Amino acid sequence: MTDKEIIEKINTALAEEFELDEASMVPEAHLFDELELDSLDLVDMVIVLEQAFGFKIREEEEIRSIRTLGDIHAFVIRKRHQRLQSS
Amino acid sequence: MWVGFLMTLTVYPLLSLWTLGCMAVFPAAFLLFKFGTRWSTERIVRFFIWIYGRGWIALVFPFVRFSRKGLEKAASIQPVILVVNHLSFFDTYCMALLPFYNVAFAIRSWPFRMYWYAPFMRMANYLDVETSGWNDASLQAKKILERGGNVLFFPEGHRSRNGALGRFYSGAFLLAVETGRPVIPLVISGTDVLLPPGRRRLHPARIRLEALPPVEPRRFSGPTAHIQLKKVVREAIGRRLAEIRTKR
Repeated sequence: MTDKEIIEKINTALAEEFELDEASMVPEAHLFDELELDSLDLVDMVIVLEQAFGFKIREEEEIRSIRTLGDIHAFVIRKRHQRLQSS
Repeated sequence: MWVGFLMTLTVYPLLSLWTLGCMAVFPAAFLLFKFGTRWSTERIVRFFIWIYGRGWIALVFPFVRFSRKGLEKAASIQPVILVVNHLSFFDTYCMALLPFYNVAFAIRSWPFRMYWYAPFMRMANYLDVETSGWNDASLQAKKILERGGNVLFFPEGHRSRNGALGRFYSGAFLLAVETGRPVIPLVISGTDVLLPPGRRRLHPARIRLEALPPVEPRRFSGPTAHIQLKKVVREAIGRRLAEIRTKR
């Protein structure tokens, strides 16, 4: 899966779960201010991403620093690469 | 058109008078209830808020036709978590159509800035889910449920600007899963005709409040239980809202 495909998969999963307008889903979109997610949505988002990509990330400290959609893209891509390298 | 004009000219001043009258009477009535019933402060204030809402219903009654359906079922299984779609500022007033009064509203922070209502909302132990954050709001809601109170959420978080059902936030559903209390989906319609968001002029309307069958959280399991519950409840409300609109 390429990085572009990962980003598309993330955006599709989040758009479906949180009914986000695809046009608003730009990397710099702030999760709270622009996409109007709340702290509980972040918990749900972790679950959605775990289901979409088949890995566990809920214990990751790095999740707390995620602020934008681009941060999510970068985080998941990094996790995917780490996973591939370790397997 | 002139009816709407007449309605706006009469309802707002009467509502102001009703509000001032209730505020004037409240201290004495509160003390009377406190010593006469031994109810908790939050329960007494919720009762008076419900009476206040009933008064509002009486004020608009010449212009608004109200109907209710299925609410008795909700009354029989208290405490419950009520979730209702949100169309207008007056949705909260319409919750006086419920056949029970012991309801704490979970709302955003802006209603707490209405200084004439805020002290009563705080005494009634309403939840400011925006300011307090979910952990504190959740603890507060659990204590309310333990004491036999119901908690009401507008899961869309804000009024719909176009009448369409918005996406739901998870709080109410996570609370249901964690406490095991059933969720009662409420469908309100017609308040967007009475007072659409962003408008001040009132219009005659037919307002309907309907309770759908309760949804038991134990039907769902695993880490996504609250998400599944949220989807089921949202689908039920959306379906019923569409049916009501088709019949209009």
